[in-house]
Amino acid sequence: MMRTILFAWLIALPAMVSASDFVTLFMERCAEGSRPLNNVNIGKDMLHQMAENATDETLKEAFGKLNSIRIISSDSKRDSRHYFRKADELVREAYADYREVVSVNEQDTRISVWLKEVSDEEQHLILLSLDEEGKFTVITVTGVIDFNSIARLSGSLKDKPELMEQTN
Amino acid sequence: MNEDSITALLDKYWRCETTLSEEQELRRYFSEEDLPETLEHYAPLFTYLKEEQSPKLSSDFDQRLTQALQRADVPSAPHRSPLWAPLMRVAASILLIAGMGVSLFFIARQNNQPHYSEKGNEASQVMEQATYALEKLSKALLMSQEASHETLRQINAMEIDWELIDSLNSEEVRQQESNPAEDDTKADTVEQSNSTDSKDSAVMRTGYHEPIKEEKKI
Repeated sequence: MMRTILFAWLIALPAMVSASDFVTLFMERCAEGSRPLNNVNIGKDMLHQMAENATDETLKEAFGKLNSIRIISSDSKRDSRHYFRKADELVREAYADYREVVSVNEQDTRISVWLKEVSDEEQHLILLSLDEEGKFTVITVTGVIDFNSIARLSGSLKDKPELMEQTN
Repeated sequence: MNEDSITALLDKYWRCETTLSEEQELRRYFSEEDLPETLEHYAPLFTYLKEEQSPKLSSDFDQRLTQALQRADVPSAPHRSPLWAPLMRVAASILLIAGMGVSLFFIARQNNQPHYSEKGNEASQVMEQATYALEKLSKALLMSQEASHETLRQINAMEIDWELIDSLNSEEVRQQESNPAEDDTKADTVEQSNSTDSKDSAVMRTGYHEPIKEEKKI
């Protein structure tokens, strides 16, 4: 019995260590020392704190139900194209249980949004973006993603810079 | 030996100062039958020790020993360990080492990744990043919606006669049902005569329905 448990543990351990979200896997597999990336991770506690402090109701709603936001970005135009291709390959290869819900492919802009509905209370979203300025961004969001609230956010934040200072 | 000297020896005994010969003398004294009343109660102590020091064999000891020897003479079945037992040990060791190696590899790889992490200590920085992320997502959703609406507008601007296309399809189905033998030839004819339209309509229909799906997903 003990041997079986030990074997199971030994087999499961690497899987547990390696099992990770998209950002971690991307950093493991695709990040290169010569092509710097920025990585920002925001956890549940911080999101909830921000939701409490936010005065904008839409922002409050959007933050309040999320578990995590993780961001990877690259400022170099050359690296961005390289990383976007890598990220696109990785999501198709290793995240077959996600479905592509949005795909925008314009001249200078590429956006791809992948979604996995774990349950009613938990959705995992991966956004890959290559914007017109050549900036590559990966954003992963987990938790209850209120698309209606998020869709209302666009543009509104620029008009309300005080929102950025709510938690000061 | 008189009572006084025995009493003196006993005192010495309780002080743990007696020699072996003196203790033997005490045991010999107390093994006698006619002990003075004052010393009688010490007798069990010394006779008990004597009995313990000279254990007696039971009457059937010889018989039991013989039987045991006879049993030992019977050759027992040789104990054989299975051939694969050593292999299992080797396999278990390899698995253990491999498991630890793989675990360490993953842990080391995770730690050695050349990534540049920002740990936002200031809440305003974190807020900025979080809002940036959500705004980016919001933009993506809006772009998708706009693309869908644009596609719909373009399709509407084409003024495609969907009823005509549907009637062509239903006519084809009816013909297939009534005259299955002539299916292929008639279908070819229809296809040839409407080759441009049907190709376009297929494209348009795909183009028409896809954005609708996308909208629902959002």
